Amino acid sequence: MAATTIATAAPATQSRFLAWVGTTDHKRIGVLYLCTTFAFFLIGGVEALLMRLQLAVADNRLLGPDAYNQIFTMHGTTMIFLFLMPILVGFGNYLVPLMIGARDMAFPRLNMFSYWLLLFGGLFLYTSFLAGGAPDVGWFGYAPLTVTIFSPNRNIDFWILGLELLGVSSIAGSINFLATILGLRAPGMSAGRMPLFVWMTLVTAVLTLLAMPSLSVAAALLFLDRHLGTGFYSAAAGGDPLLWQHLFWAFGHPEVYILILPAFGIISEVVPVFSRKPLFGYYMVAYSGVAIGFLSFLVWAHHMFAVGLPLTAQVFFAASSMTIAVPTAIKIFNWIATMWHGTLRLTAAMHFAIGFIGNFLIGGLSGVMVAVVPFDWQATDSYFIVAHMHYVMFGGSMLAVFAGAYYWFPKITGRRLSERLGIVHVLLTFVGFNLTFFPMHLLGLLGMPRRVYTYAPDPGWEPINFAQTVGAVILGVGVLVFLVNVFRSLRTGERAGNDPWDAWTLEWATTSPPPPWNFITHPPVRSARPLWDLKHPEDPDWKRSRSDSRVGVAHGSQVDSGQPSPPPGPSYSDGSPLPELPERTYWPLLLAAALVAALVGVLVHVALVAAGLVVAGYALLGWLLSERPR
Amino acid sequence: MSASGAAVPATQHHVAPFGKSLDWWGFVLFLVSEALLFLYLITAYVYLRWLSPVSPPMALPDRELTLPSINTAILLGSGVVAHWANTGLDRDDRRRLAGGFVATIALGLLFLAGQGYEYTHASFTPQNSIYGACFFTLTGLHGLHVAFGAAFLLVLLLRVRAGAFSSEHRFPVQAGTLYWHFVDAVWVALFVLLYLI
Repeated sequence: MAATTIATAAPATQSRFLAWVGTTDHKRIGVLYLCTTFAFFLIGGVEALLMRLQLAVADNRLLGPDAYNQIFTMHGTTMIFLFLMPILVGFGNYLVPLMIGARDMAFPRLNMFSYWLLLFGGLFLYTSFLAGGAPDVGWFGYAPLTVTIFSPNRNIDFWILGLELLGVSSIAGSINFLATILGLRAPGMSAGRMPLFVWMTLVTAVLTLLAMPSLSVAAALLFLDRHLGTGFYSAAAGGDPLLWQHLFWAFGHPEVYILILPAFGIISEVVPVFSRKPLFGYYMVAYSGVAIGFLSFLVWAHHMFAVGLPLTAQVFFAASSMTIAVPTAIKIFNWIATMWHGTLRLTAAMHFAIGFIGNFLIGGLSGVMVAVVPFDWQATDSYFIVAHMHYVMFGGSMLAVFAGAYYWFPKITGRRLSERLGIVHVLLTFVGFNLTFFPMHLLGLLGMPRRVYTYAPDPGWEPINFAQTVGAVILGVGVLVFLVNVFRSLRTGERAGNDPWDAWTLEWATTSPPPPWNFITHPPVRSARPLWDLKHPEDPDWKRSRSDSRVGVAHGSQVDSGQPSPPPGPSYSDGSPLPELPERTYWPLLLAAALVAALVGVLVHVALVAAGLVVAGYALLGWLLSERPR
Repeated sequence: MSASGAAVPATQHHVAPFGKSLDWWGFVLFLVSEALLFLYLITAYVYLRWLSPVSPPMALPDRELTLPSINTAILLGSGVVAHWANTGLDRDDRRRLAGGFVATIALGLLFLAGQGYEYTHASFTPQNSIYGACFFTLTGLHGLHVAFGAAFLLVLLLRVRAGAFSSEHRFPVQAGTLYWHFVDAVWVALFVLLYLI
């Protein structure tokens, strides 16, 4: 096939290292994202284990209060900003162009820039450990604890500037996803035929673009308070510490859905394929995702019930928060209905998907509980909240990440993960997860506050805490099993072939791993399941689906009314065009590095700021002037 | 196999959403994120001035309006000039483009000079009044955008002098002009919120 001849004809890379450093290929960048973020997950996991060891017994002195504060802050910051959010971006990076039949993202260089900013931002945050202590104010860093009088050290500055870097990275990424999904869909792929993962990535990109600037503003004002002597967050100076909470949660609550919507997308891909049925209620799943995205901007103050909001505000935010349960439940019923009467194939990926539905449901229900204002007054800042949050973030997003890992590993590497080790991983994860986090509900209702580094033996919290620590260790062993599985399967795993799961979306129409140009040709897209149509010409979806034929006239088909014309340029002897290879460039990397240098300069010396900005300007010019015309 | 089986050649297939190029969409989405930065900052100011249950009513200094009004006229005028320069490219008139951009940059720098004068003669500081903190943060961020926009136009100008851009290939010029209009629009909002009400 043409693909193989080109692969050997492509210029041999002088250095595999530089081929990765200079890559603009969305698949390589996706792999970089997945590996980097999983490394941060391991670091955040070690921090979690340290906390659990500290809390295993009463009056423990393993960690002092200072170290404990740093570790829970870095655990939260890492898991949210350096792991869950970007690993879902990693999946999106790898999969979205393949799923919509594109060769790459809309702006490959910008994509590269996003990745390097993420890596540098993460490293920047972690250098704080070496520079006199990590941030220690919790992952949502409430003012006035963060202003200079109460936090005179540099650690908060690392946190602020690190979040600014990560903010730029994710805003750039969201712009890229939006342009890609708007403009690079294959002929025929109207909105109503996009895979649900693409739908959810689209909604997530909108949320990121709209919400992230709020965090950037909040952090910038905090920086001004700390270094310029303004008083935005200080009541004495005419400001208001509550301003921080409003700005932070105006970002923070959409953020929760930025973390869960792509997970919904993954589950919506995995469940149908392993139930051997099309997704039940495609449009309901897609539109409920849009509804969740919209509502997520109207609920931020439910994080602030305890601060004394006006009664009308409390009623509004309680009602809007409960409303979100409706579109979420729609999705859950859709997944269940997809499995109903399906021919279930209980692979590791499917186990994780089913586990997701059950565990996330618990997190969703406790979410409705804390939306009830008087209950929230009782439960806030207790372990009940920690339980709720982890059922959503781990029982939800994390299990979906594992489901996605088992599902797409064959596509990314060409080899399958071991199903036997996979089932071991499933069991350890479900037992460990529920043993760690379910008792936290109880502990919270018994009155144990979150973020205390130790506790007295009297209230009877010790056995529960000890059980949780055992659960955390089991969970950790599960992660080790997964790692062993990955490393063994990379070398000796069963060859996957193009389409190991008999799946239906376009990413399975190319080789595993895909060539740098993704596709020479791909099946025509006449429904949401183009590969089903290809494999079952006697019973294609598009013949039955009234709604799809209706959406088929969406704007996607205006431009490609005829046969798409091959792009100009060199071609094979038979006239078909040579695929365009992803370019290699270092400008975005240089720009990211220069920006980080400038931020380091903010903490070190003003000369470094100036030097960083000059190099950044040079890199930006170099980038733009060498951009190849479309 | 039926007609459905015919494989489609894969291209980096560009739909033009709403008739606009992907570059245009990318740039406009970037401007959206920029606009949101200002929007959230303005929200913070509005919150502190009118909504906060904690902070006392915001004390306003005497606000001198003459210089800011002239400055507003300068900036809005520069927007008209930038538009005039950009439309010159419709007929490949690079002289008009270059001359217009020179004038736009000059007016932008004049605006910054006026802003600098205002900063040094203000009766308040970012530290001694919360209005001052909001004022300097908002206008400071805006001033940085004016400076960046002027640098953007300067790079475009140098490239025009080197013979770049035509009525066919003009996206960077459009982007620069759009950026300048964006900076203008933000200023109108700031002028109303910080000086007039």
